[in-house]
Amino acid sequence: MDAIDIQEDSYKDLLKLYIDTEDEKALYGAEKISKSFIKQGITPEEIVNLHIQSLQEMYDDMPQAYLRGLDFLLETMISYGLALQEYQTLREKQLEIKSELKIAAGMQKTLLATTVPVVENLQIGVVSVAAHQMNGDYHHFITGKNGDIGIALADVRGKGIPAALCMSMIKYAMDSLPEDTMGPNKILKNLNRVVEKNVDPSMFITMFYAQYFPQTSKFLFSSAGHEPGFYYHGDTKNFEELKTKGLVLGVTSETDYPEYERTIKEGDMIVLLTDGVTECRYGDNFLSREEVLEVIQQHMHLPAQEMAEKVYKHFERLQNFHLRDDFTLIILKK
Amino acid sequence: MEPHSFIGIKKEWDIVGARQLGREIARKLGFGTVDQARIATAISEIARNIYLYAEDGKVTFETIEGMNHKGLRIIASDNGPGIDNISQVMEDGYTTSGGLGAGLPGVKRLMDEFDIQSEVGKGTIVTAVKWLR
Amino acid sequence: MDLQVEIMEQDEETAVLAAAGEVDAYTAPKLKEALLPLTKKENFLVKVDLKDVSYMDSTGLGVFISALKSTKENNSSMKLVHLQDRVLRLFEITGLIEIMDIEWGANG
Repeated sequence: MDAIDIQEDSYKDLLKLYIDTEDEKALYGAEKISKSFIKQGITPEEIVNLHIQSLQEMYDDMPQAYLRGLDFLLETMISYGLALQEYQTLREKQLEIKSELKIAAGMQKTLLATTVPVVENLQIGVVSVAAHQMNGDYHHFITGKNGDIGIALADVRGKGIPAALCMSMIKYAMDSLPEDTMGPNKILKNLNRVVEKNVDPSMFITMFYAQYFPQTSKFLFSSAGHEPGFYYHGDTKNFEELKTKGLVLGVTSETDYPEYERTIKEGDMIVLLTDGVTECRYGDNFLSREEVLEVIQQHMHLPAQEMAEKVYKHFERLQNFHLRDDFTLIILKK
Repeated sequence: MEPHSFIGIKKEWDIVGARQLGREIARKLGFGTVDQARIATAISEIARNIYLYAEDGKVTFETIEGMNHKGLRIIASDNGPGIDNISQVMEDGYTTSGGLGAGLPGVKRLMDEFDIQSEVGKGTIVTAVKWLR
Repeated sequence: MDLQVEIMEQDEETAVLAAAGEVDAYTAPKLKEALLPLTKKENFLVKVDLKDVSYMDSTGLGVFISALKSTKENNSSMKLVHLQDRVLRLFEITGLIEIMDIEWGANG
């Protein structure tokens, strides 16, 4: 079939063809024309006007009542035309914001980059996924001079851009601390002061900080109001909630963080997470911590990294592949 | 036709009066159906702003007859509260009345030229021109 | 789900603010709008009744943290009452239970 000509005056031709023959070809032409109108930014009232003019050119004896009716239709199309133009402008703006966000997200990835340390006799698995483009969860590892490792896991209130901005601050505050010479409680106390001075009153950050000493298998940790992790005892095959005291960062400048200690034995496992994991909702249901534990148990025979990924995939599917909150899971296995 | 005509805006019915007068002037100037409808909608928008936010004001119509072009100028002036942040009300998607109104950005789109001056506590003047092509 | 916030009682020195529903990123501004002004009156006590709040996320906690800060600046006080277990747990984990005046349970 010949390509249908979609010049503006062909509207009249197509209309005439359709009136005379009711041919489907004319309707197909109408579809093409309407797409070309959209592309050219022609508004609904102009189309109605074109319609009126075409009819008037074809028939000299158009009834006055009918013409008035069409004028009325034209009038009702004006606001639709405006809404369409507004929608197009907003769509352009949205594309702009999207591309800015993409750049920012890239920058954040670079900023967040952390290398999972290789430690003898300890497997480390990590998954961290942002619900939106920017991540409000933060984790990082450092290796000290003596081979001990530091693990930080933080969750900024909320998600998206504000959370990501706040996270950058934590990152730089951490960089300025001599982490490998300070215990977890001192690190949190220091960070709390920085956060308290610098954030909006409704902003706060939860953080879990731990140090692991491979030589002695000692695991030292403190928490600033962070979602409690789990400790799996290999010998009794029991999960224990890592209960801690300690206020979230950013509420008051005077607060202390108790420090806790465990000795990790062969077959033990530690699960650290953010509340994006436990606050996972599916439909109208909330996930209970027991259910989270069940999923962890199902996959705990796997190596740490693979296990973390499998657990993430499970929750991702549970939420119909649409995360509501940033999700971070760290698994340490001995 | 007089070069200056105006309608005071106090009640919602005055919006209809302003539309009617504006459309008549536009038709006499030679504007086609589509432009008449656009001008009427623009008048509605600015007259409604007066009605909703200023209580008292007027819409004035001026015909412009230059060497090569003719046009219609609409001036809406009120002694209302004024607009604090003009950039904000000119933003798409911003509307204080919460409705589907096209707002002032809509008026700008419907007309060829658009200007707004406002002083908080004193009032607002919106000027819009449509040229006859 | 929605959130309803209503001032149930108010006199010269105290007010009881009742919330019902879910406090999350979308509904938290409503709570903040009602709660913050009440914390700005000197020597005033605002009680927040949370017995009908079934869910709260970190945005909701943020509202209470800023309200707490405001009570310190304005020499007023705030008390949270009738917290459901799920909501109470959040205040426990975050350590806020140690620094806020909180009563839980049906008779709290």
